[in-house]
Amino acid sequence: MNFDQARFSRDDEYEPLLSEKDSTTVEVDSEGVLPDDLTRDELTLPALSEPQLARHYTRLSQMNYSVELGPYPLGSCTMKYNPSFTEDVAADPNAGVHPDRSDRTIQGTLGLLHGLQEYLADIGGMDAVTLQPPAGAAGEFTGILVAKAYHESRGDDRSEIIIPSSAHGTNFASAAMAGYDVVELPSDDDGRVDMEALDAAISEETAALMLTNPNTLGLFERDIVDIAEMVHDAGGLLYYDGANLNALLGRARPGDMGFDIMHYNVHKTFATPHGGGGPGAGPVGVVEELAEFLPSPMVRETAAGYEQYEPESSIGKVHGFAGNWLVLVKAYAYIARLGDAGLADASAKAVLNANYLASQIDLEVPYGPFHHEFAATSGDRDAADVAKRMLDYGVHPPTTKWPELVSQAMLTEPTEVEDKASLDDLAHAFNAAYADSDEALETAPTKTSARRIDQVSAARNPRLSWQALGDDE
Amino acid sequence: MTAGNGRRAGSPYAPHTDADEEAMLDAVGADSAEELFDIPDEVRFDGEFGVSGTDEQELRNVMADLFSRNEELTEFLGRGHHAHYVPALVDDLSRRSEFLTSYTQYQPEIAQGFLQVLFEYQSMLVELTGLPVANCSMYDAATALAEAALLANRLRRGASGHRVLVPEHLHEGRLGVLENYLDGAEMEIGEYPMDDGAVDVEVLADLVDDETVMVYAETPTVRGVIEERLADIGDLAHDNDALFCLGSDLVALALLEEPASVGADVVVGEAGALGLGTAYGMGLGIFATREEYLRQVPGRLVGVSEDSADMRAFTLTLQTREQHIRKERATSNICTNQAWVALRTAMHMAWLGPDRLVGLAERAVTDARDLAARLDELSGVKAPLYDRHHFREFVVRTDQPAPAITNDLAGRGFAVHALDDHHLQVCITDANADAADGLVAAFEEVI
Amino acid sequence: MFEIPDDRKYLESHEWTTTEGDAVRIGISDFAQDELGDVVFVELPAEGDELAAGEEFGVVESIKAVSDLYAPISGTVTAVNEELFDAPELLNDDPYGDGWMLELEPADESEFDDLLSPEEYREQTE
Repeated sequence: MNFDQARFSRDDEYEPLLSEKDSTTVEVDSEGVLPDDLTRDELTLPALSEPQLARHYTRLSQMNYSVELGPYPLGSCTMKYNPSFTEDVAADPNAGVHPDRSDRTIQGTLGLLHGLQEYLADIGGMDAVTLQPPAGAAGEFTGILVAKAYHESRGDDRSEIIIPSSAHGTNFASAAMAGYDVVELPSDDDGRVDMEALDAAISEETAALMLTNPNTLGLFERDIVDIAEMVHDAGGLLYYDGANLNALLGRARPGDMGFDIMHYNVHKTFATPHGGGGPGAGPVGVVEELAEFLPSPMVRETAAGYEQYEPESSIGKVHGFAGNWLVLVKAYAYIARLGDAGLADASAKAVLNANYLASQIDLEVPYGPFHHEFAATSGDRDAADVAKRMLDYGVHPPTTKWPELVSQAMLTEPTEVEDKASLDDLAHAFNAAYADSDEALETAPTKTSARRIDQVSAARNPRLSWQALGDDE
Repeated sequence: MTAGNGRRAGSPYAPHTDADEEAMLDAVGADSAEELFDIPDEVRFDGEFGVSGTDEQELRNVMADLFSRNEELTEFLGRGHHAHYVPALVDDLSRRSEFLTSYTQYQPEIAQGFLQVLFEYQSMLVELTGLPVANCSMYDAATALAEAALLANRLRRGASGHRVLVPEHLHEGRLGVLENYLDGAEMEIGEYPMDDGAVDVEVLADLVDDETVMVYAETPTVRGVIEERLADIGDLAHDNDALFCLGSDLVALALLEEPASVGADVVVGEAGALGLGTAYGMGLGIFATREEYLRQVPGRLVGVSEDSADMRAFTLTLQTREQHIRKERATSNICTNQAWVALRTAMHMAWLGPDRLVGLAERAVTDARDLAARLDELSGVKAPLYDRHHFREFVVRTDQPAPAITNDLAGRGFAVHALDDHHLQVCITDANADAADGLVAAFEEVI
Repeated sequence: MFEIPDDRKYLESHEWTTTEGDAVRIGISDFAQDELGDVVFVELPAEGDELAAGEEFGVVESIKAVSDLYAPISGTVTAVNEELFDAPELLNDDPYGDGWMLELEPADESEFDDLLSPEEYREQTE
C-alpha cells in the first residue's frame, strides 16, 4: 500500500492556526446590558467567514488518520469500524432532550436507557447496570466506590486493592482516587496471574482484586474460578475491567466467572467512535447484592412506564447528569443491529484476525494462546521506531512498549473489521518496518503530514496556547 | 446461513468471505475460529442474550419510533446546562470520519489535524479565562470542579484541614460528584449561604479559614445570578492560602469579568452549550489554571514542538502527569475524555467569532431580563425572584403551586422546571427565544 | 559501560554523594540518566529543608518516565542547583558535574557507612 498523507504547509508551518488567519479584538461595551464593572474590557478571537472555516477544518481533517482510512490495531483500544447509521440515529432531533425534563415526557429516552441497561446486564452476566460513568476510567472509579460502600455497609473497613502489574494505568489511578492503597501483583512465567503471589497478597485488607480477562497480553486467566474463590473467601470483591470484552462476546461472561463488578467500554466493544480521544462511556454492572449501591438515578419499568429512581444505598453521582448520552444511543443501536449472532461473530472474527495477523508477521509473540490481541516483541529493534516506520505504510501502528512484561512490546489488536487483504497489508507493514535499516527507522515517518516530532523540547518548554507562541517567535 | 457475497450471517461489519476465513484458519492451523478460544468449560457461556439483530433500515424506524415517544416540548430548561443554536457547519465538519473515527493522538505525526484543533480549543479557553494553561477537556463541569478540588488539596498538602467551600446554590449533580471525588482524599465540603441569590460575602469571610483549601463560586450561579463581588471572594480565599476556583461557561466568559482579573486560580465549567446542545446532560468540562500549577493539571495537554523538517508541529505533552505513566500517583485517572465535543465547541466558537459571541452573551442578559419582566406583569407571579443581574435564566415565584404550573405548561407544549412548591426556573437562549411569546401566553392561561 | 567515578558513594536507587568541603553534594548516576532518557523536568526541595535518609526529596522526569529521588543521608539542604530548572539536560550531559542536584549539611556522618561503594554499585548495575 502506497501512502502519502495530506500536508498543507507554508514557510515553516503546516496549516496556519486560526489566530494566524485572523485576530480581531472587540471592545466589550455593554452599555444598557450590564454595569461596566461587571464586564470584561475586550475579547480577542479569530473572526473568520464560514467558507474560511470550512476550508480550515477540512484541511485539518485531511491531516488526521482514522479508522475509516485504514487499520488501527492499537492493543487494548479496540478501534473497530463505527457504523454510519448510528450517527444518524443519535442525531434524531427527538433524541436530544434536557436532563430536567419530567420522566413522563421523555419515555423514549428512558426506554432506550432501560433497554441498554438490560442488554449490558445480559452480555456481562450482571444483575444491574448503571450507564452514568462517562468513560472507562470513570467506570472503574464508580465500581470501586460501589465496592467501598458495600464493605462500609457491613462495617468492614478495608484499605487495599490488588492490581496486576500488567493492568491498565487507569486501574491504579482509580483505586488511589477512591482512597485505597494499591498492591501490585506480578505475573507468572506464562503471563497470567501468579497464584502464589496472589495468595500472599490477599488479606482481610483486600477490598477488591481488579482484573482484565483476557488480560493485556490477550491471555485468558484460566484460573479465574479459583481466583474468584480466593478473593471471595477473604471477603473481597472481584472487579472486571471491560477493556478486552470484545474477545468474549457470547462465549463467556464476567458474571459467570465470579466477577462482582465490571465496567464496559462501550466505545471499544460496542463500536461507538473514539472521537480523537473521547467521548466514551463506561457503564458499570454489578451482581444483585451490590445493586443498591449504584449511582443515582437508575431507570426501571413500571406499569405506568419508565421512571428514574435512586437505589436504596446509592453512592450518589459520578457525572453531573446521566453520562454521555449520545455515546449510549450509538451503543444501543449497535447491539440491536448485531444481535446475538452478530456479537458472537464479532468476537470470533476479532480472535481469528489477531491469530492470523500474528501468524503472518516476522516478530516473535512470546505469550499465548491469545485471543483478540497479542503482544509481539520487536526484539533488539526499538518498538517505538518500528511503529514510526509503520506509519509510512498507511497503517496505524500497535500500542508500543506496553505491557512492560514483554520487552519492546507491540500490543496489536486488529479487531474484526479487517479482512484478509487488509491484514496482509498490515503484516507487510510490520515486516517491512521491522526489517528496515536503522537509519530508515530513526528518520521515519516521512509519508505523514508531519515528520518525527521532538517530544523532548515540547516537554522542556511547554507552549500550550497560541498566546504562548509569541513568547519566543 | 449464507447472506449473499459469500458471507455468512454474523456481524455486518466483519467483512470476511468464506474463502478468506478458510485461508486464515489454514494459516493458523485451526479448523474453526471456536478452537482459538482458550476458555475453560466451567465458565463457558452457552446461553443467548435474546437480541435478534435488526436490518439497518428497520432499526432506524424502530429507533425513530422510540424517540417519538419523547413529547415535543419547547424547553425553557437550564440550571447550568444549556443549549444554543448549533450551526450546520459544526455537525457537518465534526462528523468527518477523519475526526470522528480517530483515536487519541499517541502518534502525533499522523494526527496533526486533531491536535491542532485541540490546541486552538485550549487557546480560546486561555483567551476567555485569562489563565495561561487550559487542558483539552474533562467529562463535564461536575467532574472538572471535583478535579479542581483535588488539585487544590495536592497543592495544600500541609494545610491543617482539607475543606472545600461551595455555595448554597449549587447543582445537585455537581455537589454529588464533588462528594464522591473528595471522599477518597479524606476531604470535606462546607457550604456557605447566598444573600438574595448571590454569595453572602460577609458570612463567607467568617467561614474561610486555614482548613480551607479551596473556595468555589459560580457566575452565573445555577439560578442564573451574575455574581458582583468575585474579586472579594478571591481575596478571601487568597488571604487564607486557599485557591479560588471559579465556575462559569464559555458564553458568559465572553462578556463577564475575566476570571484572571478577579483572582481565579482555576476556572471550571460547562462548555457543551456551544457545539453540543442539551444531549440529555452530556457535557464538556473546561479546566484552566495558572502556569505554576501546570504539573498538577489533570487530563491531556496539547503543546507545540518542531518536527525533523524543522516545521512547527503539535503533540500531546507533559504526559508524565497521566495515569498511563504515573499510575496510582497520577494527577487524575482520566484517560478517555471529551475530545470530539471540544472539537465541536471550538468550531462553534470559531463560527461565532468575537462579535457574535459577545452578542450572544449580551442577549443572554437582555432576553432573560425581558422575559422576566413580562412574566412579572402577570398576577401572582414575581420574576425575577432575586434583585440581581441574570444570565440566561432566573427564578420565578408563583402564588399557585409550581409543580401544577409545570404540568399545565407541559400540556401546552412547554417544559419549565419547578424548584419547589412555589418556585420555577426559566431559561432563555437563542435556541428557544422565538417561543417566548408562546410561553408568556401559556403562563397567563395556567395561572 | 556507564561511568561510575571512584570518588563517591551510591544508593541502590542510583543517587550519588560526594563531599565538597563541609557539604555533601548529591546527584544521580550516569546509569540512571541513561535509563530515564532525555530529562525534561526536575523538582527539588528548597534550601533549609530537612531531609531524612531514605526520604523522597524530589522527582526527575523524562518523556515517558518519572523517577523519585531519595536522600542518601539525613541533613539540611544548604544549596540547590537551580540551573537544572531551566536546563534539565545538564543531568544527561554531565550527571556527576554540572548536573548535581543538592548540597546537604549532614546530620549523621555514620550514615555514609550504609551507602554502596563504587564497586558495589558497579556490580548492581551490571
